[in-house]
Amino acid sequence: MEGLTQFPSQQFFFQAVFERSLEAIAIIDENYRLVEVNPAACALFGKKRKELVSNKIVDWFDFSVDAEITQIQWQKVDGSSKTIEYSIVKDLLPHYHLLVLRDISKLQQAAAKKLEREHQRVKLFAEVTLKIRQSLQLEEILRTAVTEVQRILEADRVLIYQVFANGTGMPIKEAVLPDYAPIMGVEFPEEVFPEDYRQLYAKGRVIAITDVHDPAAGLADCLIEFMDEWMVQAKLVVPILQNLKSSLDSEDDYLWGLLIAHQCESSRQWTKFEMELMQQLANQIGIALSQAELLENLEGLVTERTAKLRQEISERTKVEIALRHSEEQLRLIANGLPVLIAYVDRQQHYRFNNEAYQTWLGLSPPEIHNSHLLEVHGKAEYQQIQPYIEQALRGETVNYEQDITLQDGCLHSLNVTYIPHIQEEQQIQGFFALTSDISDRKAIERMKDEFIAVVSHELRTPLTSIHSSLKILATGKLGNLSTKGQRMLQIADEQTERLVRLVNNVLDLQRIQSGKVKMNKKACKATDLMIEAVQTMQAMAQEQQVKLVVEPMRLSVWADYDYIVQTLTNLISNAIKFSPPNTTVWLSANKELPQRKRKKHRNISKIIFAVKDHGQGIPGDRLETIFERFQQVDSSDSRKKGGTGLGLAICRQIIEGHEGKIWAESCLGAGSTFYFTLPELIKSEENRDE
Amino acid sequence: MNDKRILLIDDEETIQEVVQVGIEIEAGWQVEIASSGLQGIDLAQTQQPDAILLDVMMPDMDGISTLSRLKANHQTKAIPVIFLTAKTQATDKDQLKSLGVVDVITKPFNSMTLASQIAKILGWKM
Repeated sequence: MEGLTQFPSQQFFFQAVFERSLEAIAIIDENYRLVEVNPAACALFGKKRKELVSNKIVDWFDFSVDAEITQIQWQKVDGSSKTIEYSIVKDLLPHYHLLVLRDISKLQQAAAKKLEREHQRVKLFAEVTLKIRQSLQLEEILRTAVTEVQRILEADRVLIYQVFANGTGMPIKEAVLPDYAPIMGVEFPEEVFPEDYRQLYAKGRVIAITDVHDPAAGLADCLIEFMDEWMVQAKLVVPILQNLKSSLDSEDDYLWGLLIAHQCESSRQWTKFEMELMQQLANQIGIALSQAELLENLEGLVTERTAKLRQEISERTKVEIALRHSEEQLRLIANGLPVLIAYVDRQQHYRFNNEAYQTWLGLSPPEIHNSHLLEVHGKAEYQQIQPYIEQALRGETVNYEQDITLQDGCLHSLNVTYIPHIQEEQQIQGFFALTSDISDRKAIERMKDEFIAVVSHELRTPLTSIHSSLKILATGKLGNLSTKGQRMLQIADEQTERLVRLVNNVLDLQRIQSGKVKMNKKACKATDLMIEAVQTMQAMAQEQQVKLVVEPMRLSVWADYDYIVQTLTNLISNAIKFSPPNTTVWLSANKELPQRKRKKHRNISKIIFAVKDHGQGIPGDRLETIFERFQQVDSSDSRKKGGTGLGLAICRQIIEGHEGKIWAESCLGAGSTFYFTLPELIKSEENRDE
Repeated sequence: MNDKRILLIDDEETIQEVVQVGIEIEAGWQVEIASSGLQGIDLAQTQQPDAILLDVMMPDMDGISTLSRLKANHQTKAIPVIFLTAKTQATDKDQLKSLGVVDVITKPFNSMTLASQIAKILGWKM
């Protein structure tokens, strides 16, 4: 009993501690010689007590008594090493120190392993980031993210949950171990993902839940139920935020979705490293999303622009084909036409010639392309045409005739027209030259002239004889005729006179129309012209009992005196014919009112002549046609009034030859007024004339 | 004033007749007839008429050549010549006048007023 109740002695206790301690304990003297070691120390050094005692510890490793706790690397004889941590209590007893040693090799190895594992994860993370960054395809990015996160974290399920604009959302990508149900495509009920959660996530909150059932996690019941449904024990949620600064000018991040890791097998304490990794990955996804969206937009723009360009190119090609086609047609036409067609630039170089140049002039278009006109036509011809060229290059359309010996050795009459090529802002680029052969026309004209000369002579001579014979007979000096015979003689005489007028008028009109007649223009006083015409017609007027009145005006015109008197005579003759007896025919001349001025002749004032009668008037629909040949108001007029039907046509030709205009105004039953205009004489011309 | 002698040079017989008759009736003047330019020059030399009416268009020798011969001959150059022509254009008339005739009378004319027309041109009293 005593043995059972007796408390062991202190020494016994210490002895037991020394012997049984797991820590290696050694006592060394002041020379660092081992004095005593416990079994743990023997185990640490792998030696028996007697092998250790009396040996100096410094023989095994660098030993210092200065540091209280020190780590040393102990190299064993067999080459292996141990990391030993020791503490020293100096002067435990005078001249003796206490040494406590511990083998920390295993601990260190564990720490190294842990470091290695983390290093591996960082490496993996870098790889994932690279993969994500390298891909610009959204699909690829998301798939890589979930697969890689699941692999690195060794989570049971990793998913990417996309938040939609209306607040709902669903997992759109998932990597899940085969043991667990896939959650992808399942729309999360709104209560498990309320608005306040979204707001917190948008601010970057990370949720790490070790155990969903732990009340400390603070999960709502419905969420816990939802977690149970998908066998979730622990979860780690990080937001995927997209920075929209570039596109929306906003400082706020936009919650695109969530990166979620589930642990289903057991609860899980998420490490700081894991959380950071998830967060960084989510950031990378956010950046990649922005880039992918940007790319999509760019691609969209590029596609749109490419389509537009394609359309434009196709349209342009069509237009070009059409242009080429039309150009080819034009070239064919230009080459097929029996005229010379050319384009001359401002520097007087040929830029285009049709093939007629080869046949007419013996100059092939390529041969004269880019050549100066002087070079092509020679000095003599060039000097002739130079004024016309300069006129065309001043922007005027030029027309002239030229006789030239062509390739066939014959002299040809050519009609040349230069049409200036005027571009925007009145810039003259050059001119088009069109040359046609009018030799045949000239020959016909000559024949016609000869014919008219012959007819003129051949008709006039017998008319002279008839006319004179009748006049002689009418004197009665060659014998008297019966009254009936006298009447017949009178008819023959009148009709002869009419025939004479008709022949004269036909010839006049033909000559004026052919342009053969040159208006011999000079300064004429308007009043002189009118008085001369009135004097000529005075006899006829008296016969018809019509009064002729001239309103004198101090005006002068630039005109051919004889032709204008002829015009006035014609108009007065008509006026007398259609005036009832005891009426007046008025002649006047006035300056044209400004509103009648044409733009083309804005610098030339005009004088309007008027011959006014009080006759029957002219119907409105005939006012224009009466100026055409044989177009009297009434076909019986020519017979009754002895007219030829050519008078007004001649008048119009004469007035147009003066760049004037002739027209009639009439009021049925009240009379007609015939007007014509002539250019007013400007002072310098008058002086020159005088 | 019925003592004037006119020489008509014209190849047209009807013209010769109507002119001759007309002038004789109107003024009582004597009209000599030549049917060609050459005959006309001969008659002009031998007859020395007071005036010559000369047709422009004639076969063989036309009026213009005849005129130049008449004007080149000292015996005939002083005799006033009046052209008869079918040309009516003022320019044609001016051209003809410039050749040295006193005037130009255009066809068709009235032979019954021809004498007074000539008298007016030459300043003769009738």
